[in-house]
Amino acid sequence: MIKKIKASRSEKIIFIFIIILSVLSFGSFFLIKDKCLFVKDYNPKKIKFDNPKNIAILNVPCGNVIIELYPEISPNSVKRFKTLVEARAYDKIAFHRVIKNVLVQAGDLQFGKKGNLNYAKIGTGKSGLGTINSEIDAPFDFIRGSVGLARAQKYNTEDSQFFILLRDEPLYETEYTPIGKVIYGLEALEKIKFLDKSQYVLRPDFINSLTLLK
Amino acid sequence: MNVIRLIILSFFIFTQSQADTIYNLIKIPNLDIYEINSSNKLRYLYAKQPFTIGVDNNINCYNPEKKVLNEKYKIIKKNLDKYDQKFLQKINLKYIVLCEDLSISKINTAGIPNNIMKTLILDVKFNENYFERVIHHEVFHIINDSYKELFDEKIWANFNIKEFKYAKCSTCTDKLGLDTYSNTNGFFTEYSQSTASEDMAEVFSHLMVGSNLKDIDPILQQKIQFIKTNLLKIDQSFIL
Repeated sequence: MIKKIKASRSEKIIFIFIIILSVLSFGSFFLIKDKCLFVKDYNPKKIKFDNPKNIAILNVPCGNVIIELYPEISPNSVKRFKTLVEARAYDKIAFHRVIKNVLVQAGDLQFGKKGNLNYAKIGTGKSGLGTINSEIDAPFDFIRGSVGLARAQKYNTEDSQFFILLRDEPLYETEYTPIGKVIYGLEALEKIKFLDKSQYVLRPDFINSLTLLK
Repeated sequence: MNVIRLIILSFFIFTQSQADTIYNLIKIPNLDIYEINSSNKLRYLYAKQPFTIGVDNNINCYNPEKKVLNEKYKIIKKNLDKYDQKFLQKINLKYIVLCEDLSISKINTAGIPNNIMKTLILDVKFNENYFERVIHHEVFHIINDSYKELFDEKIWANFNIKEFKYAKCSTCTDKLGLDTYSNTNGFFTEYSQSTASEDMAEVFSHLMVGSNLKDIDPILQQKIQFIKTNLLKIDQSFIL
């Protein structure tokens, strides 16, 4: 005859503790995995803009980033940016250079396209439209959220690549061409994938889409 | 081809990450901002720790004493304020790095110009007697490097008497004196006789600090005219 053994009180407590621990571990695993959990996603249709023609919507893995463009400061550069945005050239393009809490950079249309990434050349690609001149003479505060065109070592080599600042960078004034500023959703960019030991990201995050509001 | 790609890729992987913005801009480590709100948009930086740069790490400089830095900054700024933003943009000068005991290949030097990186490194402890003049001397090297075609060394050398020959480089000679001659005879200083570009820089620096030009010999007068004419080609509003 098999004798039924009753669990002691301490065994019951340990069992309940293990159950609770399992539930918490399992739950937190999914919560932590979702890096966008606490990032607010802005809907541009619900926001009123003074000048909707100069609003660009950058959709990234954690939501929308709303950028106001400044054609009055950098007319040619904003024109180039708008041309590429209207052509949907930035869709599925990698954030190939990301420096934690400093900046995110994207826009290599040649070597940064999803499905066709070229790690050896990323950051050196061109748009096919040629380079444009730097527009750096106007005073501009490169503060957190500022959007500028990236370039090679020399001036007047701007093309399609752009960066968005995650902190103030006063030394960028008269160094880089400003094209706008993020007015909503900068938090989504703080979640873009970065590496601790390199500015250039392997298996990077991508721009889902970049469009103009109007 | 794959090997080349791997090398490029490894460069991306091992490049410095927690970006020091200054390093990213001018490739000199251990610097901090001293002053960036100058009227001509020059950015003054200083060494917060010693740094080593250059081919085979041959350029060294140390962090300056704060008191010396503060005193010399005023002098440096006063002199560099003579150049307006437009002119500085044209010659490609933007960053002034202040440090102490600057040397290149273990030879002490007052300054190291680099027009590609838009940078001029200055030793704040350089000899007091020539300090202000040396600032402009180094600025001329930036000008010269940016406009090589204007400052033709053959034309310049022809101003001198036929028997005179410059050394092959500024460190290939012991003509290092910086005292201004009372009897110029074609040259402002002994150092002027080292190379054509050093000679031009000496002429320019003497003009910039307003040296007495009363008893200038005809050769030096030609050199002064050459410098003035070519500076006007860079910027018509440049006044010497």
